[in-house]
Amino acid sequence: MATLEAPDLCAAAANLPDFTTEAYKDAYSRINAIVIEGEQEAHDNYISIGTLLPDQADELTKLARMELKHMKGFTACANNLGVTADMPFAKEFFSPLHGNFQKALAEGKVVTCLLIQAILIEAFAISAYHIYIPVADPFARKITEGVVKDEYTHLNYGEVWLKANLESCREELEQANRDNLPLIRRMLDQVANDAAVLHMDKEDLIEDFLIAYQEALTEIGFSTREIARMAAAALVG
Amino acid sequence: MFGLIGHSSSFAQAQEKARDLGLEEMAEADLLSWCSAPPQLLETFEVTSKTGKTIQGTYIDSCFVPEMLSRFKTATRKVQNAMELAQKNGINVTALGGFTSIIFENYDLSKFQQIRNTTLEWERFTTGNTHTAWVICQQVETEAPRLGIDLKRATVAVVGATGDIGSAVCRWLQRRGVGELLLVARRPQPLIDLQQSLGEGRILALEEALPEADVVVWVASLPQSLEIDTASLKKPCLMIDGGYPKNLDAKVAGHGVHVLKGGIVEFWQDIGWQMMEVAEMENPKRQLFACFAEAMLLEFEGIHTNFSWGRNNISLANMELIGEASLRHGFRAIGLGSARSSSDNSGLELAAA
Repeated sequence: MATLEAPDLCAAAANLPDFTTEAYKDAYSRINAIVIEGEQEAHDNYISIGTLLPDQADELTKLARMELKHMKGFTACANNLGVTADMPFAKEFFSPLHGNFQKALAEGKVVTCLLIQAILIEAFAISAYHIYIPVADPFARKITEGVVKDEYTHLNYGEVWLKANLESCREELEQANRDNLPLIRRMLDQVANDAAVLHMDKEDLIEDFLIAYQEALTEIGFSTREIARMAAAALVG
Repeated sequence: MFGLIGHSSSFAQAQEKARDLGLEEMAEADLLSWCSAPPQLLETFEVTSKTGKTIQGTYIDSCFVPEMLSRFKTATRKVQNAMELAQKNGINVTALGGFTSIIFENYDLSKFQQIRNTTLEWERFTTGNTHTAWVICQQVETEAPRLGIDLKRATVAVVGATGDIGSAVCRWLQRRGVGELLLVARRPQPLIDLQQSLGEGRILALEEALPEADVVVWVASLPQSLEIDTASLKKPCLMIDGGYPKNLDAKVAGHGVHVLKGGIVEFWQDIGWQMMEVAEMENPKRQLFACFAEAMLLEFEGIHTNFSWGRNNISLANMELIGEASLRHGFRAIGLGSARSSSDNSGLELAAA
């Protein structure tokens, strides 16, 4: 057997950042803003999807309301640390994805809208929250743990709808994946330095996002080969 | 359903495999990008035992490559994520192949049971080491007499004697009765403990043990820098290369020194899978690592417990049990006749030790 130098993973895991430093607060002002903006976008997007799926509007309004509750929670996290979220940065951060969603919405492409919001953004959020929780301050940790459970519900909503309609929407899904997955990858790259200050590794973020995304594609009904092919686009930065 | 978690033997091989699967982006991606690649469930297949029983199997590539060994966070994440994927797919028993079991044990990953929202159930996993140990012992017992070595009088050196497989091999050979056991390992205290628990065996440094040995069982990985003075070895000498990766044949080629790949078994009929082709087995449809075969055997037998788990937990009773199952379901340990020639060495090998 090979013997590997075994670092103390427990000690590494317990290594929390100093939440009071200016460097932490500076990075947090952008990450927190992204999260707040993300929840706001999610709210607006679910309401918009409701206009394309009128029979689902009530359910989608419920999901949208949850997103607003999350937004308030994350705003409280910033206040707790004495940080002002950098909202202009976050708006800019989301603008390419926002643009793609709005374009799909205008064209009535519900499949693309669902992939962007209910699959890509939710998978992004779930993976980021999972990685954030162990290194969060105690206040934010509690709030994020609550949020992550809700986000699974939203991911599940998208999975169920797309699964039921897979045969008719396969092509559009694959195209939407090609158009939007590279944007998510770029967003992850953009946030990497700030995330590192919060002790969140870029490698972890990308891999966990891809795991959540692949799981969603599995649920929807894609084969393992198709999924590997679809997800591979995100690996190349 | 049983599962196998493996990995490519090198980054270059992983890229080649990705290209074969039509994953051009991954084939082009650099090592850093691969560090973020999630595990992939690549293949499902059926295996039918000699008894007629058919079971389903799944191969998961952890997307780990040996070039990631120096990045412990990456390496551990690969193993944990592959295990999570196996469990989420409802696989009853999954063997950790190649470096994945080594990473699990050396980094003590049993401390980390929670992976995101999944609590890993250890009883769904096995290192496969019990079967590997049994197969290595079979290879010693079968092949030594073929070379004219009488085990009752032979000196058998076990390199890596204090490890999981090494200590099990020592106990098995002691019960069987061999001339003398030479115990070789890096750390002195575990060696003394092993010697005391056996009540026999001589502790020697590697360079002292080798010239005395008729049979050498290697269950430690060889440092690239290791030089072996072939001239000082006994002739004949049987060397069982049971470590991972298997690279002994290049170091002690030929002239009365017989190197056999340890812990490899051959199934009684072809298995409809592709994965062993990248393991560079002589007969990839039938040959596989014994640790992988353990997952199959546990599924054939309906033994859904963490059979080989934790350091030095391999019992002789379990070796017998898995050995009987191995024969019943149609596995046999590969012998010298089916080993590759000493000159054909490609360095690292895929998958399991």
